[in-house]
Amino acid sequence: MSANCTSAAAVSASKTKTKKKHFIGQKVKLFRASEPILSVFMWGVNHTVNELSNVPVPVMLMPDDFKAYSKIKVDNHLFNKENLPSRFKFKEYCPMVFRNLRERFGIDDQDYQNSLTRSAPLNSDSQGRFGNRFLCSYDHRFVIKTISSEDIAEMHSILKKYHQFIVECHGNTLLPQFLGMYRLTVDGVETYMVVTRNVFSHRLTVHRKYDLKGSTVSREASDKEKAKELPTFKDNDFLNEGQKLQIGDDNKKYFLEKLKRDVEFLATLKIMDYSLLVGIHDVERAEQEEMDVEGAGEEEEYENDGMGGGALTGSFGTPPDSPGNPLNCGGFFGPGEFDPSVDVYAIKSRDGAGKKEVYFMAIIDILTHYDAKKKAAHAAKTVKHGAGAEISTVNPEQYSKRFYEFMSNIFVGPTPPPPTHAQLRPGGTGPSHLLHSSSSFLFAPARKLSH
Amino acid sequence: KCSNSSSIAASIASKTKTKKKHFVAQKVKLFRASDPLLSVLMWGVNHSINELSHIQIPIMLMPDDFKAYSKIKVDNHLFNKENMPSHFKFKEYCPLVFRNLRERFGIDDQEFSNSLTRSAPLNSDAQGRSGARFHTSYDKRYVIKTISSEDVAEMHNILKKYHQFIVECHGNTLLPQFLGMYRLTVDGDETYMIVTRNVFSHRLSVYKKYDLKGSTVAREASDKEKAKELPTYKDNDFINDGQKIYIDGENKKMFLEKLRKDVEFLAQLKLMDYSLLVGIHDVERAEQEEVDSEDNEAEDDGESDGGGVGTPPDSPSNTLDSTKPLSPGEFDPSIDVYAIKSNDGAPRKEVYFMAIIDILQHYDAKKKAAHAAKTVKHGAGAEISTVNPEQYSKRFYDFIATILS
Repeated sequence: MSANCTSAAAVSASKTKTKKKHFIGQKVKLFRASEPILSVFMWGVNHTVNELSNVPVPVMLMPDDFKAYSKIKVDNHLFNKENLPSRFKFKEYCPMVFRNLRERFGIDDQDYQNSLTRSAPLNSDSQGRFGNRFLCSYDHRFVIKTISSEDIAEMHSILKKYHQFIVECHGNTLLPQFLGMYRLTVDGVETYMVVTRNVFSHRLTVHRKYDLKGSTVSREASDKEKAKELPTFKDNDFLNEGQKLQIGDDNKKYFLEKLKRDVEFLATLKIMDYSLLVGIHDVERAEQEEMDVEGAGEEEEYENDGMGGGALTGSFGTPPDSPGNPLNCGGFFGPGEFDPSVDVYAIKSRDGAGKKEVYFMAIIDILTHYDAKKKAAHAAKTVKHGAGAEISTVNPEQYSKRFYEFMSNIFVGPTPPPPTHAQLRPGGTGPSHLLHSSSSFLFAPARKLSH
Repeated sequence: KCSNSSSIAASIASKTKTKKKHFVAQKVKLFRASDPLLSVLMWGVNHSINELSHIQIPIMLMPDDFKAYSKIKVDNHLFNKENMPSHFKFKEYCPLVFRNLRERFGIDDQEFSNSLTRSAPLNSDAQGRSGARFHTSYDKRYVIKTISSEDVAEMHNILKKYHQFIVECHGNTLLPQFLGMYRLTVDGDETYMIVTRNVFSHRLSVYKKYDLKGSTVAREASDKEKAKELPTYKDNDFINDGQKIYIDGENKKMFLEKLRKDVEFLAQLKLMDYSLLVGIHDVERAEQEEVDSEDNEAEDDGESDGGGVGTPPDSPSNTLDSTKPLSPGEFDPSIDVYAIKSNDGAPRKEVYFMAIIDILQHYDAKKKAAHAAKTVKHGAGAEISTVNPEQYSKRFYDFIATILS
């Protein structure tokens, strides 16, 4: 697009961040990537967003839209071989639904397209359950997760209700923001991918990361994990460190309201085993890191491990050139500052907190259905511990309550009152200790829940 | 979005060629048409030009480019059903070659795409050999001809030499300007199409049309043909009507030079049975028709048949619209490339459009067919003259040279 937007942005560039300019070929999108599957992904998103631009936005979605798909098969011969495979297929599930969701989540289709196609998505160090592959868009706004065909089926099962929920909460939720779902076929191999909004910031680095479930069985980062640049710590780590998130009362109240609504929704869909992903940005540390980089004085390669987690090697969350983003055309951010319409999960630490921090918290991994789990558990006939298949022996209802309880205590300040009997679902069969204030739960040593 | 970037880029747009920055990608193109085949054509051309915009233009074409194709198969389910069929295929032959040809013929890819995709191509009354189907782009700049798979094969045979010829004459030729070749599959049926620049004007109407070969066997329009709105007259009609082409010496010289080079090239390739298509625009007659239509004042929705009064459809991509409007009988020679004005001494003010069409008939293929048929046919169906390409070219040239005197 226009070079003008870049220079204007550069002039008013933030002084605390090295705003590197990336003159990625604006008009010509080569879809160049290290692997064919990424090229196909870029091509496919580019194509499907273009197709949608020629389909008028309907007044409302119809039932058929939730069953629809678009499929395209490319077979080139001696043509366009430089960056793309000659043969591949690209399928988009429920294009109209995801377009509508993007709109409800405040994401413009052109911006979405640009983020995923101007430059190749980057591999992320993060591992989901079962070693699913993660990537993030080059500008760190979106996360691309490789999922299974079972996940696709589950998504289809929940999509209508999920969409309805998003309509009702006006996109204001901690649930994953599902933005697109695709199937890519390269060399005869099918890969399913879902795109969500990045929980973390596209700019501010995350220095510490937790994956919390409110469970206590094997909820501790392994030594191998701890050796990583940005390890994913878990519940026990959180507790053992005495970690508390220093958000103010209003923010806490608002956050917990959303969380409650979200987990109740998940429980009604019989979904469980989700986590709260927590990322902490340390403002002073980031400033120090920035100064170190400026001292070194080099234009770094833009190689991050995704999720805004690049610590010392990569760039420091500097925003890539993105003329499509009105943000880059003006204004700049001070340390620890962010645009809440882009970093939607960001919460500042309260005034008077010991350290100036920014927290990013949202729910992830919501595609495990209780019935599917039970089937798998019966087939396996064992209860496994560990990152692979964390089967807790609770049902979705119990899981959601335990989850909520735990999360309501990760913040500093008075514990919110426990849900009243009236608020509890009828027929709840949780153990009695869940009904009381969870402070006892918090300091109790890890113990197996008896079921 | 940063809206200012659009205006800034527009202001630094190149002024030399018709290379305007087109911020019309945001316009919704529905590809709506009366016929699914046309929707698929529109979708396909749109797709093809978009794909090409992501491929760097090579310094020169390679041999592989003349064997290449792009193929795409669409299979939608409960999606985008309003204007498009759910299942179709689109194949483009030698995309890089035709892109290069478009460039050499002074046609910008975005404008090419716009002409074929902003609105559905229109059916044309014109009939090619063997009843081939014609369409013109909605803005009348391009002709889309339905051809046979044999024609596609012949095109592949001649493409390298054709391209070389275009390079050498700098695009200055009366030969058809081949701009794109496609295969569309809708409902399991395959249709081959080729796009060429319209010989006639996109603006000035043609009131009389001739298809000339320089042959005398059955070269006369049938009664059925004469009943049409714009009949295609032929050699004998031309002579019997006492038709004249009044162009000045300079124009005639340039025209005949081009013609000579072109038919020599065709003879070398052993092609024959081509025609000179001649269209005549009568300036005063057009002015009168304009006045008449203004009196009737009904806002046409631009749906004129081939012989319309030449009012230009809205075409923001046409740089001409940004300059002053053209007076009667005036034209932009970079768009109406075949147009030649009548000379000062002519009895009527006219504009002539003349170029060669139908060049894909190969002599060897003909002979095979003739032997199979074992008869010599007369008529529009299979006009077998008993000459060879060399003789055909000479007879053709002589006839045209004569009628221009």
